Amino acid sequence: MSYSTARPAPTDPLQLGAQIVAQGTTNGAIACARCHGFDGQADGSGAFPKLAGQFPQYLAKQLRAYASGTRQNALMQPIAKGLKDAEIDSVAQYYASLHPSTLASRPVAAQLVARGKQLAKLGDLKLRVQACESCHGPNGQGEPPAVPYLAGQYSHYIDVQIQMFRQGIRTSQQMQDPAHSLREQDIAAVAAYFERASRNGAK
Amino acid sequence: MPQTLKEVDVVVIGVGFAGSILAKELAAYGLKVVGLERGHSRHSVPDFQAPAIHDELKYSVRKGMMQDVTREAMTFRNQHREVALPMRQWEAFLPGTGLGGCGVHWNGQAWRYQVADFIYKSHVEERYGKKFLDPDLRIQDWGVTYQEMEPYYDRFEYLLGVCGKAGNLNGKVEQGGNPLEAPRSREYPNPPMKEQYAGALFRKAATDLGYHPFLQPSANMTRPYTNPEGLTLNPCAYCGFCERYGCEHFAKASPQTVILPVLMKNTNFELRTESQVLRINLDSSGKKATGVNYMDAQGREFEQPAGLVLLTAFALNDVRMLLLSGIGEPYDPVTEKGVVGRNYAYQTQSYVPAFLKEDIHLNSFMAAGASGTVIDDFSVDNFDHSALGFIGGCYVLCGSTNARPIEFHPTPPGTPRWGRQWKDAVRRHYNHTAIFNLSGSSSASRWNYLSLDPTYRDAWGLPLLRMTFDFPENDLRMSRYVTNKASEIARRMGATTVVDEPRTGPFTTTTYQSTHNTGGAIMGSDPATSVVNRYCQAWDVPNVFVVGACNYPQNSSYNPTGTLGALIYWTADALKSRYLKRPGPLA
Repeated sequence: MSYSTARPAPTDPLQLGAQIVAQGTTNGAIACARCHGFDGQADGSGAFPKLAGQFPQYLAKQLRAYASGTRQNALMQPIAKGLKDAEIDSVAQYYASLHPSTLASRPVAAQLVARGKQLAKLGDLKLRVQACESCHGPNGQGEPPAVPYLAGQYSHYIDVQIQMFRQGIRTSQQMQDPAHSLREQDIAAVAAYFERASRNGAK
Repeated sequence: MPQTLKEVDVVVIGVGFAGSILAKELAAYGLKVVGLERGHSRHSVPDFQAPAIHDELKYSVRKGMMQDVTREAMTFRNQHREVALPMRQWEAFLPGTGLGGCGVHWNGQAWRYQVADFIYKSHVEERYGKKFLDPDLRIQDWGVTYQEMEPYYDRFEYLLGVCGKAGNLNGKVEQGGNPLEAPRSREYPNPPMKEQYAGALFRKAATDLGYHPFLQPSANMTRPYTNPEGLTLNPCAYCGFCERYGCEHFAKASPQTVILPVLMKNTNFELRTESQVLRINLDSSGKKATGVNYMDAQGREFEQPAGLVLLTAFALNDVRMLLLSGIGEPYDPVTEKGVVGRNYAYQTQSYVPAFLKEDIHLNSFMAAGASGTVIDDFSVDNFDHSALGFIGGCYVLCGSTNARPIEFHPTPPGTPRWGRQWKDAVRRHYNHTAIFNLSGSSSASRWNYLSLDPTYRDAWGLPLLRMTFDFPENDLRMSRYVTNKASEIARRMGATTVVDEPRTGPFTTTTYQSTHNTGGAIMGSDPATSVVNRYCQAWDVPNVFVVGACNYPQNSSYNPTGTLGALIYWTADALKSRYLKRPGPLA
């Protein structure tokens, strides 16, 4: 780590962001690329979210939430605490500047995806769940700056996040009720649908 | 020959807020209830889904949720001596249709009226003397008091999940709320909405001038809320598509989000949509309703016998249904005899656009239908009128309900209506203009009334409702005074141009003002001057109850829905605890 301090920190936010993503900081933030990839596609396991092209305000807000402890995650909290304010914005801008690419999805039952599509586009009156896309935008493109895109995100990651909203580990006034009202198989369904949705501009 | 159906206990005409709440209460009480709704069935899912629900052309311009004017319109004239002509499109006000009624496409501005409102005539005479009123005014007391209505306001607000901060809890003034409001028995169920930037600027200017700004009560949720019926609403996304639209987020209180799912589960209730009620039937004595006749979408006519008829079809439609059915004597302004159609009133709206400097970015599109900052200092009788020569007032609200691309393009006076200069002006002012909305009281007067049109008929061959209305001079003087006060606040905000445009006559149906049509079937304690008694029960036909803004003897400064909600629960209580135990006249 020591060699990185030998060079002056870049002043351009994108360059500073790229440097932190590749090398981490001396304050204890390890390189983001280790899990999320230098290209923001993450490692394909679905344990870590794809960040490429995610909205910078959303990413910065999440990092600050990790740093303050309002969003809990044993891995991310110490990393976020190791980033200064300007570094958070730089990392967020770096990942936001990348183009997400469409990855091959796990094969799942067509019925599951169809149910996911129904929930995403229409919601469910009996469950009193609104359409995911009411906030996350047509085909899960997101509504910048506040609402993240879901299109092409790893289904495992989406699934785990909804479970965390459901258990109150991750908090959001908007997500609280939908996460509680969805049934277990519905969570898997929306996750499968959004993993297959392609993001505008994805290569 | 109409087919006669099996008799039920209750038939409800119109399934909006009033119809669905009353039906729910009576079905839960154990009565067989049929709800007849003229329009289509519709629900949050799938009918209000984004992005299709944000179609401004369809819903705002073409009035997608409103009554079909090609089948059922109204005629209008300003003066009694004129010939009324049919409205060919809705502009000034927008009567809704369909399941949930106007409760689907309202803004969610959930106000209470003042103590003085309910005893208006007595109050004005006591404070200013009997000779103070213009001779053409016909204001009245309601026959109920605010104190009686308070528990029912409370119940309705908790059903809806109204968001706000109390300013007067049991007579004690609370910091952060509206210190001029009527006392409430407990805090709002949810905290107030986020203040808009324009509202924050207004707050500062209004405070500097000695007024008392606060965030308006809103039925757009500020957090997840589960109401006493067990239904959960979600937080509002401030998308700016409330009025004229359904809400895709389960965030706006509407019959669909706060009551209908519970009602529909009750097997005592049956909903029949696309059922156009033609008349309430009376027996040979004319003093008892036997049910209703209605026509379905296939043009088949049915007779639905019922022991009790609830008329909850929107203020204007309620009055028309009474006239079509021969319930109550129609009002005649020449002789001042008769009651049905009497005291039709409206809302005296005016607007003050404040054009601000270019470095002030308001982002007014981040808005909800009820996210404004308000002063109540000039509402109703919150200020001394003795030297002013008029009664009534306006609340002054700053903050947008939207900044939608087709409808919202403020330009200063002198801007051409089209072309390059207009486009430049729109670009310059779109994000830098705060619009003040002044919602003004409307005094009932002798010559403003509703009646059946002698010439024009609807698609079912029945006479259209005829509106005779112009602004009373009193209300124009009131609008001039309060609009001028509002302009002072706009100048204090640093506006470079302020347009001081009080309401002027004559009333025109060609520009939108308000859908707060009130009166025509007013409540009161004297059958000679009211259509229904204090329990919203028809004086002449005791098994007909009429619940709507048509019950208001005159209109206050505030949006009428909160008070309607209180009247709905008040009536439900009277039905359950009194009428059903001993059917007959209650007062």
